[in-house]
Amino acid sequence: MSRRGPRWRAGWRLALRLAWRDARRAKGRSALVVAMIALPILGVTAADLAFRSGQLSEAQQLTRELGRADARYHVHTQGSPMEQSRTGDEYTYLAGGEDDFTSDSRTPAEIERQVRAVLPEGAVLVPDWMTRHVVSTRTGQLKTEVRELDGTDPVTEGMLTLLRGHYPERAGEVAATQAFLDESGLFVGSKLRFRGLDEEFVVTGAYELPDDLGETQVLAPPGTVLPRIGTESDWYLPPASYLVTLPAGEGTAGGVGWDLVQEANAHGMIVDSRAVLLESGGSAGRETQTTVVAGGVSAGALVVLEICLLAGPAFAVGARRSRRQLGLIGANGGDRRQLRAVTLAGGVVLGAVAAAVGLAVGIALTFAGRPLIEHAAGSRFGPWDFRLPELAAIAALSVLTGLLAAMLPAFAAARADVLTSLTGRRGVRRSGRALPLLGGCGLLLGTALALFGGLAVDDSRVTAAGAITAELGLVALTPLLVGGAGRLARLLPLPGRLALRDAARNRGRTAPAVAAVLAAVAGSVTIATYAVGDEAKQRAEYQAALPDGWVSVSAMERDQRELLPQAVRVAERELPVAERAELGGVLPGGADCDPYADDCGSAGLSIPEENRCALTYGDAMALSAAERREWSEDPRCTDDPSQGQGLTSSDMAGSPALGVGGPEILDLLGIGDREARAALEAGEVLVFNPALLDEGPDGEPAITLLETLPGHEYGDGTPEEEADRTLGFPAHLVEGESWGLPALISPEAAERAGLATGVHSVYWTTSRPPTDGERQAFDAALDRLGSPPYGYVESGYQGSDDAGLLILTLAAMVITLGAAGIATGLAQADAEEDLATLAAVGAAPRLRRALSGLQCGLIALLGVLLGTVSGVVSGVALRLAAHRADLADWQKTIDQGWESSARPRLFVGLPWETFAQLVVVVPLLACLVAALLTRSRVPLARRAG
Amino acid sequence: MRARAADRGTGQAGSEQPVLRLDRLGRVHGSGPTAVHALREVDLTVHAGEFVAVMGPSGSGKSTLLTLAGGLDSATEGRVLVEGRDLAGLGRAELARVRRTSVGYVFQDYNLIPALTAAENIALPRELDGASRRSARREALDALGEMNLAELADRFPDELSGGQQQRVAIARALVGDRRLVLADEPTGALDSESGEAVLVLLRRRCDEGAAAVMVTHEARLAAWADRVIFLRDGRIVDESAAGNPESLLAGGGAR
Repeated sequence: MSRRGPRWRAGWRLALRLAWRDARRAKGRSALVVAMIALPILGVTAADLAFRSGQLSEAQQLTRELGRADARYHVHTQGSPMEQSRTGDEYTYLAGGEDDFTSDSRTPAEIERQVRAVLPEGAVLVPDWMTRHVVSTRTGQLKTEVRELDGTDPVTEGMLTLLRGHYPERAGEVAATQAFLDESGLFVGSKLRFRGLDEEFVVTGAYELPDDLGETQVLAPPGTVLPRIGTESDWYLPPASYLVTLPAGEGTAGGVGWDLVQEANAHGMIVDSRAVLLESGGSAGRETQTTVVAGGVSAGALVVLEICLLAGPAFAVGARRSRRQLGLIGANGGDRRQLRAVTLAGGVVLGAVAAAVGLAVGIALTFAGRPLIEHAAGSRFGPWDFRLPELAAIAALSVLTGLLAAMLPAFAAARADVLTSLTGRRGVRRSGRALPLLGGCGLLLGTALALFGGLAVDDSRVTAAGAITAELGLVALTPLLVGGAGRLARLLPLPGRLALRDAARNRGRTAPAVAAVLAAVAGSVTIATYAVGDEAKQRAEYQAALPDGWVSVSAMERDQRELLPQAVRVAERELPVAERAELGGVLPGGADCDPYADDCGSAGLSIPEENRCALTYGDAMALSAAERREWSEDPRCTDDPSQGQGLTSSDMAGSPALGVGGPEILDLLGIGDREARAALEAGEVLVFNPALLDEGPDGEPAITLLETLPGHEYGDGTPEEEADRTLGFPAHLVEGESWGLPALISPEAAERAGLATGVHSVYWTTSRPPTDGERQAFDAALDRLGSPPYGYVESGYQGSDDAGLLILTLAAMVITLGAAGIATGLAQADAEEDLATLAAVGAAPRLRRALSGLQCGLIALLGVLLGTVSGVVSGVALRLAAHRADLADWQKTIDQGWESSARPRLFVGLPWETFAQLVVVVPLLACLVAALLTRSRVPLARRAG
Repeated sequence: MRARAADRGTGQAGSEQPVLRLDRLGRVHGSGPTAVHALREVDLTVHAGEFVAVMGPSGSGKSTLLTLAGGLDSATEGRVLVEGRDLAGLGRAELARVRRTSVGYVFQDYNLIPALTAAENIALPRELDGASRRSARREALDALGEMNLAELADRFPDELSGGQQQRVAIARALVGDRRLVLADEPTGALDSESGEAVLVLLRRRCDEGAAAVMVTHEARLAAWADRVIFLRDGRIVDESAAGNPESLLAGGGAR
């Protein structure tokens, strides 16, 4: 008596056995499907493992920040109280203590006493001070972090990793991060110099910060460098911090508790406490970004769809080749469900194999590529973190992908008549109506949603959802469309007629291939269409900073100004520069004053009140929204002289800057106005923007310079009230494009007026447009200077990098050729009898090649055409959505009283180049490749059935 | 042996329910002027223990008769009753069940599933019917043992000779409680010795209580049957007890 179980289980058991053996028999086809599925699985596995291993636990993260210490005490004020959040991310100064650290002149010992005062007796303090400073390198200077910490102290374990050599142990020794050594060209054993110190320091070791591999940092023993070079006030944190380890004993077992933190706050310190951070769940505050997750899921779903469409024909081939086998199972009592299971099991088996391969290779690649990934991410992994549920989910996704890919062929195979399968008869099977109906609804609904999103909703996700729905609808409609295309066959010559009819009669294999091409091309064309519109927008909105071909080198900070002569030499060596002109500015603090680091004063031109833009000067928020919109179109705002272009910029207070230069500036600008030249030489100020002109005491045109001297505090008042000195100059209005330069005074006139000036920019015309190579050499040579002046070459609008688009187009091409190739291979296998018949009636051998080429080209063409239509619709809809977003932003900007800009225009364009590549080149290429790879000799065909 | 078979003949049709009954069976392909009558008004009754051969020229409807009898195709006229069940009233799933439990097929070639071993091929209907793999294999091994093929149980079809493959196919056609074997030129692809072995086997299974309908072109093979019916243009034109091949040839050819 036989024991019986559920028939479905028996069916699946048998199906899996058959599928496994079939997969081993058809090794080529199985490998193709496994590769298609395993590739993305591999990527997802690697990404998951890398992400999880790179995501440290709070305790691991704290080890990187605190080493083995209990806490880090940052000394912010000299005792003024502060408040901090438990995570230490947020803090506030109370009682005006924020300026304490900028003016802190205490010795390290005094600062350490401040810390010790709030700690229990016996606490161990390890100073960990840090600032930024300029260091001399082999080729120039580099501004870098300078840190004082005893790297040999065991408390630092986990914070730093020594790579070579040893940590500095005495004065005159430093270690450096690998990133610093790479950037500076130095190595262990090299010597370096800190700006302001005469002696050289030997690099004794290379180390890295596990949490910030790209950081350039130089490490010195405590007290050997920082007290001598000083600390910079533009650094966002005060330099002094201490790693604190509490003594073992009662009351300190729990580490630095919240009460100790609050006590430190009360004495002007902020504390990162291991105990408090662990208790509060950490500072990471990771939020699940639903948009990212939704985007990832959508992209993943589309990738799965694409794989299913690509692998679908391979399963269709398998099902077709197993037709007799399926017929025999049917003849022996297998029902539809069991027949379906046989093909579906193929998907399960290959999906499972792909999962194993993808997981294994993904993990192996992550292991092998760990250093590369860590450098790309900028931090070292923690311990390997295998999340089994996630890896299981990835494996399940692989199996699901295989199952989905086998779904349509499985249903088609199960629907086939047993007798037909057994006899091997071929015929046209009508496809069901449900799929086209569903597809039509999806297409209409998706298109409507995309248009609605583009025209009426301020959320591009609606448009994207509509576009994807429409595309899926089109994919579902593909069998119907392929069938419809078959009607055109009678118009074609014999090979074309055969190819088109074969495609239409065998939609089961043609449609998935066409749909795969459609989906890939649609994605590519969508992005290309969007990018072309975006490019047109950017081209229209591009504002050149300088006349085409000009070169400039500008230095605003002191470090940069020191390197200006070297930068000028670099420009003249690397670029085809011609005429040159120097432009300076009024620097009340003198040329040695660093306006960003020190209080150097400021000098700006006054704009007569009646010429001022109410949105820039005065309280824009006091205006109504309607007034703000009106002002945004007003010439006083659109030609605001304080909104400079490339030739000069506004001063530190935002006022238009007075340029200092000779007539060579006019020559460079091509202004041949002799009166202007004479006026400049006569000591008048040349004014390029009439809004700056005022009336002098004698009724002549005049201009006013407002000077704020060093040491003066800025407030929120009007420029006049802030000014220490007001200087009037006779003015001469000059017609002509000044590229943002509001006014110009000669150096002699400036000197006569008692103005301190300095050259900050040098401009050149060029004898020809610099080549890419020359530009790169210029940039590289500037970079080697360390903290170089800003170099700029105006080349007009250059367009965005097209590499991404090119890669997408190439990917679409490869998918198109692959899908068309698979389907053609299947068609060829199916058509052996027809070809034998054709050969028997006298067809030339080349007909076989022609037929193969046309079949491949036809699938590519159908897919590409449908994909192009779908992609253009999606791309245009996304552009509409982007335009709506631009309009909304513009409106919001104006309504909120921020700076005005021109009303955004809608730019829509078609990517003709992409069309040419995809619609013309790809089908022709598919034709050619298929024809060339097809044997012209017809093998002997056996009678089926 | 042949004489004993002849004795069973048509005369066995008594009160016992026939294994197969075709009642004015007809099959028309297409419609209107393009309609083709593959089978017309065929009446046939086959009882347990009976071995019926079907002969006739190409296109006479022999294979159509077999596919209709096994429920692989649907009749356009008349009825097919397998062990008393009218196949016309059955859905696809029920027809599949009939094929699993009542009818076994043997085809001229490509009878076995290449990815399954001999034992697994025989166990196939039982596994499809929900039997456990172990019990299905046990039945298969029993069947192979009866055919002296036990040592070939774990060989794949491409490791078997044509005759061995057909004997495995016959074992599969009868595994379980199935009593009707429909064989379409089962020896067509075999040499005479292997063909003879297959017919011996079919004959023996009928003698043990199964019923078989075999389509053949060869009078020599039809002589193994209890009865021979002759088809031409879709109609039964003659029916006779099997005799020697010469008489069969004369009979079939005369009509």
